[in-house]
Amino acid sequence: MIASVGFLSAIVVIAVAITVLSPIILLLLWVKDWKGKKIW
Amino acid sequence: MNNVNSAILDANIGWMILAGFSVIWIWLGWFWGRKAKGLEDFMLAGRNVGMALGIATAMATWVTSNTTMVAPQLAFQLGIWGMLGYSLGSVGLMLFAPMARRIRQLLPHGYTSGDFIRLRYGVWTWRLFLVISLVYAIGWLISLGMAGGVLIHALTGIEYQYGMTVILTICVIYTVLGGLRAVIGTDFIQTILILVGVVVLAILTINHVGFEDMHSNLLAERPELLNLLMPAAIMFLFNNLLFGVGEIFHSNVWWSRAFAFRKDVGFKAYLIAGIFWVPIPIVAGFIALATPALGLNVPAADMVGPMVAAKLLGVGGAILVFIIVFSALASSLDSLLAATSDLVLQDIYRGHINPKADDEKLRRMAKIIILLLGVITWLICLPRVSTLASLLHFMGAFVASTIFPIIGGLYWKRANAYGAFLAMLSGTIVGLIAFNVIGFYVAALVSAAVSMLVTLVSIMMSKADFDWTMLKTKREARS
Repeated sequence: MIASVGFLSAIVVIAVAITVLSPIILLLLWVKDWKGKKIW
Repeated sequence: MNNVNSAILDANIGWMILAGFSVIWIWLGWFWGRKAKGLEDFMLAGRNVGMALGIATAMATWVTSNTTMVAPQLAFQLGIWGMLGYSLGSVGLMLFAPMARRIRQLLPHGYTSGDFIRLRYGVWTWRLFLVISLVYAIGWLISLGMAGGVLIHALTGIEYQYGMTVILTICVIYTVLGGLRAVIGTDFIQTILILVGVVVLAILTINHVGFEDMHSNLLAERPELLNLLMPAAIMFLFNNLLFGVGEIFHSNVWWSRAFAFRKDVGFKAYLIAGIFWVPIPIVAGFIALATPALGLNVPAADMVGPMVAAKLLGVGGAILVFIIVFSALASSLDSLLAATSDLVLQDIYRGHINPKADDEKLRRMAKIIILLLGVITWLICLPRVSTLASLLHFMGAFVASTIFPIIGGLYWKRANAYGAFLAMLSGTIVGLIAFNVIGFYVAALVSAAVSMLVTLVSIMMSKADFDWTMLKTKREARS
């Protein structure tokens, strides 16, 4: 069973999208923690 | 891979990057270390770590040099299932999320995973668990130390001994200076660097090669990599999943974070870290599938990632890979140094040698133990015995045997010391036999199955009724 080009591109694009979002979310959470004095 | 001539980056640039990061990490270690007032502050960052740092430290620690270097290698060897199988390593993080919450509830004064086993199962099971945990931790430290030297050499041509010494020294210094605060703080920065780096590489690969070309070239030259039913890849997938779960469930690296996170942070932090971790091996790994389209001749599978990066980006790509690998190595090494020193301090030194030690004495000892661990790791790594690098292969049998005694101990009152001891012992022994008779890819699987069976039978036969409040005991210095 050979993976199609659609399957390959779909999993990679979804993975890249989540990986692009994750540092943005981390930085936003950091700002939220910092404002609420909850970093440490 | 170990030939200086095959290095993709100039050694001088490598030294400049190493020097730059050394200054930054050590300064940050000193900066955060100033705030550590007592033992809890040093070992557990004051038990007050927030959500952002909590998620980042769980992610960074689980993104080792393996993830960034082996993910492309697995994609190159096992194809699509290689990178998807690696992604299942995140299942351990997600499954640990509810456990982290329960650990924090049951042991509000706990320091280590050893504390739990001692209070829950008694002295002998605790000692067996300590052997498993420490053998695993030292094995992981050695494999990371060696990986540091080998990767720095492969990427820059810097001699193995120098590279290994530098990365180990940097991590030891900032962990001694700042304790868990320094580890978690630097983890946050390292996570951002790793994520940005792998995304840049992935987007460049997509732009330069494109999915159509990648797919058609693979189909023509390496069609097996697109095979969704490759048997070796599917077997790897299950063993990797169980190995990962065993590593996370038993290792003090993850328990110390469960103790260090704020009360309401543990569950969400581990769950989100797991979700964010899923795509990383795919993003880091799929670039290897571009090798046929790029016409790259890959002499050693473990260098496929850096080779693709250098081909696409030249020197800039090589620098990017070096920074990603260096961040991944440091984020795991520092965590392991801190968590293993906690285990040695609390369970060996305080538990067996000096129960009367007060907090001040323990804090001094914590720093000495981190230094000693660094020196021991350095000495073992120095001769570069290549067989040591595969030390972790058979550790699957050890760590997987602890999964069910830990789950049973956290959730079932009827889980008992005899069952836990027997489960760990029999799981490890049978797992090692399977490792030798069948292969490395079944060691964790067999060990976990045997351990589960023994744990379940012992729970069914037991009349024990454990009192959970016994886990809330605060350990004071005895006089």
